Amino acid sequence: MPPAGLDNLRHIVVLMMENRSFDHMLGGLSLVMQSGAKKYPKTNGLTGNESNFDMNGAMIPVQPNAKFQGQLDHDPDHHFPGVDLQIFGGAPLGPGRVANMQGFIKSYTTQGTSVNASHAIMSYFPPEKLPVLTRLATEYAVFNGWFSSIPGPTICNRAFAHYGTSFGNVDMNLFYIQDPIQSIYERMLQARHTAKIYYYDQQSSTMEIVNLLKNQPQIFGSYSQFIGDCKSNTLPEYCFIEPCYNDHPGAGGGQILASDQHPDHNVQEGERFIANTYNAIRTNQELWETTAMLIVYDEHGGVYDHVVPPACESDGYTAPADKTGTGEPFKFDRLGVRVPAILVSPYIPRGTVVPGTEDSNGFIFEHACIPGTVTNFFLKNYDQRTSREKKSNNFLTPLTNTLRPDDDCWVFEV
Amino acid sequence: MKKKYKLVLKVPKTPKSAYNHGRFISSLIEHQIKHFHDVEKALLKAGQKLTDISKIKTELHASKYLKKMTALLHPQGGDKPRRAPRPSKTRSRTKTVTSRGKAKSKQSIRKRL
Repeated sequence: MPPAGLDNLRHIVVLMMENRSFDHMLGGLSLVMQSGAKKYPKTNGLTGNESNFDMNGAMIPVQPNAKFQGQLDHDPDHHFPGVDLQIFGGAPLGPGRVANMQGFIKSYTTQGTSVNASHAIMSYFPPEKLPVLTRLATEYAVFNGWFSSIPGPTICNRAFAHYGTSFGNVDMNLFYIQDPIQSIYERMLQARHTAKIYYYDQQSSTMEIVNLLKNQPQIFGSYSQFIGDCKSNTLPEYCFIEPCYNDHPGAGGGQILASDQHPDHNVQEGERFIANTYNAIRTNQELWETTAMLIVYDEHGGVYDHVVPPACESDGYTAPADKTGTGEPFKFDRLGVRVPAILVSPYIPRGTVVPGTEDSNGFIFEHACIPGTVTNFFLKNYDQRTSREKKSNNFLTPLTNTLRPDDDCWVFEV
Repeated sequence: MKKKYKLVLKVPKTPKSAYNHGRFISSLIEHQIKHFHDVEKALLKAGQKLTDISKIKTELHASKYLKKMTALLHPQGGDKPRRAPRPSKTRSRTKTVTSRGKAKSKQSIRKRL
């Protein structure tokens, strides 16, 4: 018998934010003290001793001085060669090189920052500065071991969330899908289930342009339609939400702020967006009790994290050396840098932490787990996907038998 | 009536100074535009001019191009036009006579202006 949380589950909602690492957003949780003891000891966050060397040879430790905006105005490098430098510290290519997470400041210096400004890449938010993310992480389930799927940028990482593979791509360039692997939306619709991608508005639009929006506009909706669907109990069984990617005037006047948290967009506005999305589900009791919401970041955006990305099962593709930019091909056999991931449901006990690489019994998650879990949950047996996706871990395991009382779950006043 | 919740957390407002539509576009938005440009090329009809995306430098420029292309591919994602607020039933309406002789409320005239 599945637990009641799974038995009653009717909707899975995924909100994918942009370009922040686990340590940058949630690493401070493990440093919070209460009555002389760590308040959140199970989170694999920072000890305060993690460091990188700067270009003058000075050791720069992590610092709780992350700012909402204006600190990472030189966009940190998060393309494949840049992330390779961040993970391996610039060690020469070869089979013996060891990942040490020592190249973050070096990499940020390549973006034209001064030596002093390059230290910002080691910054993290104290939990009280991110009340929404902190509240959700500590009230529901936080994953210690959710990694981006590729040590590379947005488009190829987001592809893993939609298809369970990037079809051999490690960069931002457009690609046309030739393979028989379908997106999770197509799989759902063909099996007479419901699925949708909600982009913020037409001025912000979607990142899934050439393969999905162009060919299958019927699977799209706007964020205001998501809010309406939550109110009217017409939310699809699976949906994926994209935040606002740019600042622009509102259609009816006013100003719309980017809410994706991509540097150098305001992090507070992303907090408000997460809170609004959570509220839309939380304030409809029927929806709240039948929905699991995953908040996850597409990749680390070049910002420091201390956990070495683990090896993974290849998805069967190889990116040639001229595509990776490192001089070596990439076989999709190791993951990218760790990102924040939080699962929300009233069936999750407060303070749940899903162990990751720090625990020999831990679980490794990456974006292929999204179509993997959704497919397994709604479609059961479905074969036409990569073996990496088939073997991916189920992110719904934190759901239990016990429904928390309504008075025990928070609402945000936005 | 609005439901009362026991546990409510107030989320701070983002300062107005955070808004900057003149910000130069990131590599992410630059690639988003390139992908749309590829679609635009495919949809181009004879006599139509392709957008010169090299001129898109800021987030405002980008948002205009993204709106144009998204509306083309997904018109149902557009914002519904806002309705003018309905006048209160208890308030007496002030009527004005237009040049065509039809009576219109001051509100609807103001909206047209």
